[in-house]
Amino acid sequence: MREVAVVGIGHTAFGNLSQYDLVDVMGYSAMDAVDDAGIGDHRRLIEQVFVANMGGGILNHQTAIASSLVSRLGIEPAMAETVENGPASGASAVKTAWMAIASGMVEVAMVTGGELMRSVTGWEATDFVATLLHPEVEYPYGLTLPGFGGMFTRMYMERYGLTERELAMVAVKDHQNGMKNPFAHVKVECSLDALSHDSESEAANPYMATPLRLYGMCPVSDGAASLILCATDSPAMKYFQKSEPVRISGIGSATDTHCVHNRKDPLHLKAVELSAQRAYAMADITAKDISFAELHDAFVILEIAISEEVGFFERGTARKAIAAGDTTISGKIPINSSGGLKSKGHPVGATGVSQIHELVKQIRGKAEKGRQVKNPKHGLAVNFGGFGNNVVSTVCSKM
Amino acid sequence: MVDFTQYVPKKKAIFAHICPNCGEKYYPAPMVCHTCGTRRDPTGSKFAEWPVEELKGPCTLLTWTRLTALPVGFNDRYLLFGIVEFPSGIRASGLLRVESPETGMKLFARADVVRTNRGTPEVGLVFEKSKSRVSGATGATGRNPEVAAQHS
Amino acid sequence: MVAMELEKELRAPQLQMTPYPPKSIILATGETLVVRQARKEEAAILLETVYPLIGVARDYYDIVAARMYSELLGWVRDRTASEFVLVGAIDGVIGGIVTSRMMTEKIGISLHTITIKRGLRIGAQLFAAKMEHHIEYLRQDEVYIVAESPIGFRRWMIEYGLKDLSGEYPAIQHELGGIPTYSLTRDLYFSVKPEKVFGTRPVDPSVLATADILIAPDEYPQIPGFRRNES
Repeated sequence: MREVAVVGIGHTAFGNLSQYDLVDVMGYSAMDAVDDAGIGDHRRLIEQVFVANMGGGILNHQTAIASSLVSRLGIEPAMAETVENGPASGASAVKTAWMAIASGMVEVAMVTGGELMRSVTGWEATDFVATLLHPEVEYPYGLTLPGFGGMFTRMYMERYGLTERELAMVAVKDHQNGMKNPFAHVKVECSLDALSHDSESEAANPYMATPLRLYGMCPVSDGAASLILCATDSPAMKYFQKSEPVRISGIGSATDTHCVHNRKDPLHLKAVELSAQRAYAMADITAKDISFAELHDAFVILEIAISEEVGFFERGTARKAIAAGDTTISGKIPINSSGGLKSKGHPVGATGVSQIHELVKQIRGKAEKGRQVKNPKHGLAVNFGGFGNNVVSTVCSKM
Repeated sequence: MVDFTQYVPKKKAIFAHICPNCGEKYYPAPMVCHTCGTRRDPTGSKFAEWPVEELKGPCTLLTWTRLTALPVGFNDRYLLFGIVEFPSGIRASGLLRVESPETGMKLFARADVVRTNRGTPEVGLVFEKSKSRVSGATGATGRNPEVAAQHS
Repeated sequence: MVAMELEKELRAPQLQMTPYPPKSIILATGETLVVRQARKEEAAILLETVYPLIGVARDYYDIVAARMYSELLGWVRDRTASEFVLVGAIDGVIGGIVTSRMMTEKIGISLHTITIKRGLRIGAQLFAAKMEHHIEYLRQDEVYIVAESPIGFRRWMIEYGLKDLSGEYPAIQHELGGIPTYSLTRDLYFSVKPEKVFGTRPVDPSVLATADILIAPDEYPQIPGFRRNES
């Protein structure tokens, strides 16, 4: 299979972009990537477009978005498809683009992930995301992803003794990183004491899905991110001289039971573990070789649990690493240097693409002051679909 | 001849499905038995429908949450949800009608209307402390009965 | 002479109103929000704070700001009966304002809630403070409430479980006119109080002193690039 590199990256601000059109928001990030790749006059080098989007049909009354984007960018007759894998749509689209290039079908592909979720009310957005639950035995009750986040958190806390204060530490760290990320949706510098459980914190940090609180959950966001990929042995590489290419050295994905209650141990995120193992195997590395990671913290408990499943820490012990500061920018294994979904935001279709955007930016050494990881060689991104029933892990490495 | 039984109100019940070949129990039902590969055909035309077992009765609470920020169609202040395990090993998610849940609590499961979707009642599992119905204004949903009645 | 007599006629009657005791609330940033009753002498700074939001159509800021602006004028010019204004300030900088009034001894009318500094639940805390004042300090039995935005409807009608009075229109109607009226009763208030009403009293004198002189915000997240001197 051919080696594939990311040769251009683009990103919009994440936040409330509801006054704009969905495909325009995607197009903005796409042109940003075209500029980063230095192919403004040669954008028709892009032969294949994969769009990652979950809610266009439901929230924005738009379908066939990939075709629309191609036309918006004037790159017909590029091939174009939309990839939908719930919140893991982004990384799935990257995986699909990687396969198209690695197989030799195309030389250059673009991946654009985007979502406009704030064009509807919060409870309509919550309902839309909940459609990924089982339609008969989970969704009808009014269960939501935060509901499962709450139940998962309770099980984890009861088994491993994690405290609410330790959970809040993750949020504080993510927000500290997010403050330095120009794309981040929620730029609020949190105080650990204000967020931690005591009688006063209920005002600032109320329970949303006990024991998860407001600052234990990502916001509802709009935004888009784009990547341009090219085969490293392609003659087309001569056009991509502007920015340092970064290799996609490993991709893996796996599924688990649709219903959370059907997992033998609901705390064992098997799909995360297996997808990471597959990605490491392809990249010929182990967890110890990973310099930094973007882990899907739609709920802060997931940053903790995923960090254990991918092999950074033994199960139940990530809390010690958090307390020791090991996951901060200057720590042993910086996690969510972008601010994570918690602070950066979570436009569902964009997230997986945005995570890889961050890996590339960090490996290039181009992250903003105060959130640049030291000497990054291999970065891991984990994009968590459903409630862990479809997970995609990606490793990016310095060329 | 008209089958008039189709107009008889259906009994409120939730079922687990049992593989007719190996006896493995499932909730929800798959299309193919994960253990022995026996096919299930909901239409009953190509393969036999599987036997069912009503899900109800004693169960143990494995985890739970009190959820605010409910989705469209729910105007309660909050709802309590849990995952339980039955003695058969089958697990299920459902609505908790217990005001102060605790992991490990012994509960009783039964089928009841859990929401009304476009005028049609949808039946699901509710978990209570005892066989008798929990009564009371707010019960375990934080539901103001006047608001609920107005918005249902 | 005639003008003075007319002014007397034109002034709205005022019920006796117990002052709202200030309280402090710690926000997610660790900053302290001081919630206190505004004084009429502060009308200028309050009007100046609300005014720029009249031009923001998103999230119903325009209608809320325009109506609150008139409520503040009605309050300071004594053309509204028994109105009170509460303000939330961080180091003196106004984070949010709420307006409300006593319709009768026993029934209150909630007017508006506006938040300038978003993302810290200041609006939720100020709305709760308003309800606290109506029920606990003004000792009213019921407060009529309406919502202009879906978010407001969710935050108040649903999260507080308010009683729907729309069936009694037009006999009972909120003075903002034409929208379903809901009611927070005394019983409902006390049932939600543990989850909704927070704060510490008395406020440390040094903290209270920071809110003595109100300052209009220099930044509005709702208005990117806002500059006060150019507005």
